[in-house]
Amino acid sequence: MKKLIIYSILGVMLLSVTSCYKADNWDAPSARIHGRVIDSYTGENLLSSQNDWSIRIWERSWTASEPTNQNLPVKQDGSYNNSKLFAGTYDMLPYGGPFWPVTDTVKNVTLNGTTEQEFTVTPYLQLLDFETHLEGTNLFMSCRLKAPIRTGLPNLVEIKPFLSLTTFCGAGANSNIDIGEYSNKRIQINKSWQDEVGDSETSNVYTIGPLPVKAGYTYYVRLGANVNDANRKYNYTEIVRVDVPR
Amino acid sequence: MKKRLLAYIALLGALVFSQCRQLDLEPKGIMGEPELFGTEYGVKMYFTGLYNWLPIEDFQYYANDGYRKNDWGTEKNSQGAMSGEYFNTWISVDNDGFGYWPYDRIREVNNFIQSFPNYKDKFPDETFNKLMGEAHFLRAYFYFGMAKRYGGVPIVTEVQDPLASSEVLNVSRNTEYDTWKFIHDDLQFAIDNMLSDTKETGRANKYVAAALMSRAMLYAGSVAKYTESLGFKATELATQQGLAGMEPSQANEFFEYAVAAGKVVETGPYSLYNKLEDKATNFARLFLDDSSPETIFLKEYNRNSPRGNALQHNYDALMSPAPDMSSFVGAESFVPLDFMELYDMPAYTNPDGTPVRFDSRGDIRDGMEPRARGTMYLDGDELRGKTFSIQRGIYRTFDGVATDIQRGVNSAPINSNGNRILGGKGWTTEINGVTYTITGAHGNFEDQGGENNAFGSAFIRKYINPDMATADVRDWRSDQSWVVFRLGEVYLNTAEALYELGKREEAFDYIAKIRERAGAKVVRPAIDMTMTNIGSINKANYTYSLEKSLQFIRDERARELYAENHWWWDIRRWRTADQILNNFRQRLLSCYYVADEGKYIYLDEDNRFNRQWNASKSCYYEPIPWGEIGKNNNLLPQNPLY
Repeated sequence: MKKLIIYSILGVMLLSVTSCYKADNWDAPSARIHGRVIDSYTGENLLSSQNDWSIRIWERSWTASEPTNQNLPVKQDGSYNNSKLFAGTYDMLPYGGPFWPVTDTVKNVTLNGTTEQEFTVTPYLQLLDFETHLEGTNLFMSCRLKAPIRTGLPNLVEIKPFLSLTTFCGAGANSNIDIGEYSNKRIQINKSWQDEVGDSETSNVYTIGPLPVKAGYTYYVRLGANVNDANRKYNYTEIVRVDVPR
Repeated sequence: MKKRLLAYIALLGALVFSQCRQLDLEPKGIMGEPELFGTEYGVKMYFTGLYNWLPIEDFQYYANDGYRKNDWGTEKNSQGAMSGEYFNTWISVDNDGFGYWPYDRIREVNNFIQSFPNYKDKFPDETFNKLMGEAHFLRAYFYFGMAKRYGGVPIVTEVQDPLASSEVLNVSRNTEYDTWKFIHDDLQFAIDNMLSDTKETGRANKYVAAALMSRAMLYAGSVAKYTESLGFKATELATQQGLAGMEPSQANEFFEYAVAAGKVVETGPYSLYNKLEDKATNFARLFLDDSSPETIFLKEYNRNSPRGNALQHNYDALMSPAPDMSSFVGAESFVPLDFMELYDMPAYTNPDGTPVRFDSRGDIRDGMEPRARGTMYLDGDELRGKTFSIQRGIYRTFDGVATDIQRGVNSAPINSNGNRILGGKGWTTEINGVTYTITGAHGNFEDQGGENNAFGSAFIRKYINPDMATADVRDWRSDQSWVVFRLGEVYLNTAEALYELGKREEAFDYIAKIRERAGAKVVRPAIDMTMTNIGSINKANYTYSLEKSLQFIRDERARELYAENHWWWDIRRWRTADQILNNFRQRLLSCYYVADEGKYIYLDEDNRFNRQWNASKSCYYEPIPWGEIGKNNNLLPQNPLY
């Protein structure tokens, strides 16, 4: 009797497993797209923060209805990568980042196997002459702003310090120590470039601090500045490592 | 025998078949159109369901999850908690909304508007017009609920045939301007056709329609005036096509509609609530007195109605501290200092920077604006036979200035080495042989989370019903009405619209009425036309400048309408939400006992949870529900930034 129960349970389990055996009738997506977002001024990758903004893609080989966009997040190093997309043709557009709006959607990029696609963008602002110095356990950061294109530049919003205990630093996901002691030290401007800086292409030095840091800790720090466009994302300085002495 | 059997069978057969002669019978338990639309009572029944679903942000509005939530935790997840109006640890801004899309209700209204003329001969003209007007009011309210979320939406005025071709069914969005104009036209129809009978407070009349018009048109005017400052035009298709956003040149039209609607309300039998001598109690009673002459429209609740129909709420149980004043989980929403200090407050810091010494904690109430005291409960106030007792901790000695506490961090020298003593619920400490309880009975406890733990110094008083016994303050036991429209709000709408139209003095006539009733020290401040771009809450840096007196009117709204679910919509329509909620870290007013002096001090601190609110510019428009776009591609383009 006991055996019978065990066998019938085993039988049912076997059945239930085998019924799931048939593979999906659609292959897993395996096309890869990757590339860099290049700063038109420096020719280097755009200084970014992790997942701060995305490249929008629309799958045009899907014609049953208007495709909604998918987003490819841009990484801190200014590159992006997604290896789990369906093969097909896509439109691509860098969207919502700290640069002059890109109006030329790259049309009909064919994804099949591995595809590389670069984008060149023109940042609103450049942050120059970034310097940090410590006074005891107080950190000071400074930079100058440069706006090569000032016609139509939205108002400056703020210059904000970002401090992190990992190498990820910026406004992106989990990339800064978000406490009042730091965010209250941001310099809020909310003026046009003309009112704040004048005719010059480059501003005077802005210094932010004192920012209290802990002895013996290693910080990764940078400054970001943004303008009042629709997205208000930051242009950044490079990331600097600061070792606070014990 | 056989014959008899055959006869029986024949008889049975005759019986069975004779009963089937009429298969097409009207079911007796279901009311059809003639019963509902043919009598005034039938129409009332038909409308009742629609009234229930009006987009009213009341006690049972779950900020990120919809109307009439019928969930015991709704009041914890209120709109005030979401937008930073309360200190509360539960939710924060969610730009995506909850897919509000009430075309099912709009269809019910359209069905009425389309078919009701068939029954015109059954009613006197006045009644027919009144009911037709009421239907337009209801439809406008549903469209208002969508327009403030999405901007332009499809205007559907017909009962669509579900079998029609997809070209007919797949409607496109109308522009935001057309949507607001449609709301205006529906409400104008309602005002022109409804009567001035105000007997049924839970039901619309001419003045209710005008009050909605006042609120909606002010919203539209602000959207038109300030959307430009967001910079959506450069990249956003929906804004370029006028679906999300209007032109500044269109603002005055809507402000003028708002003023006109306010004047209609003023012809009604309403006056500011002024029944009681004590201005603080008077302000608190205004929300509990169903016969208040200030109330224009109520949403009524009834605790004795069957459970499950969202006609009871939990406001008292979730806004008063347990166990003293609530027998349920208790309070979790507290008033941050940022909002407290909008009112007249006694100085708690001396000119030299040292904290003012108070003989008792409750002395903070002296010199506070009566309206503020009607809005919140402070230490020393009584509720349900108990006295509020709120203290954060003890300083052995305090020989510095208020800023020495460095916003309350433990590492500040004055807070170190045991000079500042904080504790859990009921903890005591001994100083020079005297035993002290470290905290108040209602907070602030270091060993507890957000529940029943006064962060800051105040609990909410507005809408709290003091006449309930504590034992009765439980889930689903509260049934005070929600005041949907009141004259105070309409005055503020009119004042703001007038000021936007450049009629400054006239605007402040209304502000003076509000401040007089509030018991404010300065009833009519001088008009200050200096431009500023700095707001009051969070010293927000707006992206545009406005006159200081206009900022004052905006602050007057925050004072008068605190905890009435207006603030979020206000900062949205002013297009300042992303700057006000830009690292908005609420400040809290904390009370300490200074042991060596035997006095109390109040200090401005940051909250211990490092709680903060942020909103991005995508908060100004919710996305058109993606599921609807999937069904109907004509709803594209999607709203900005999605």
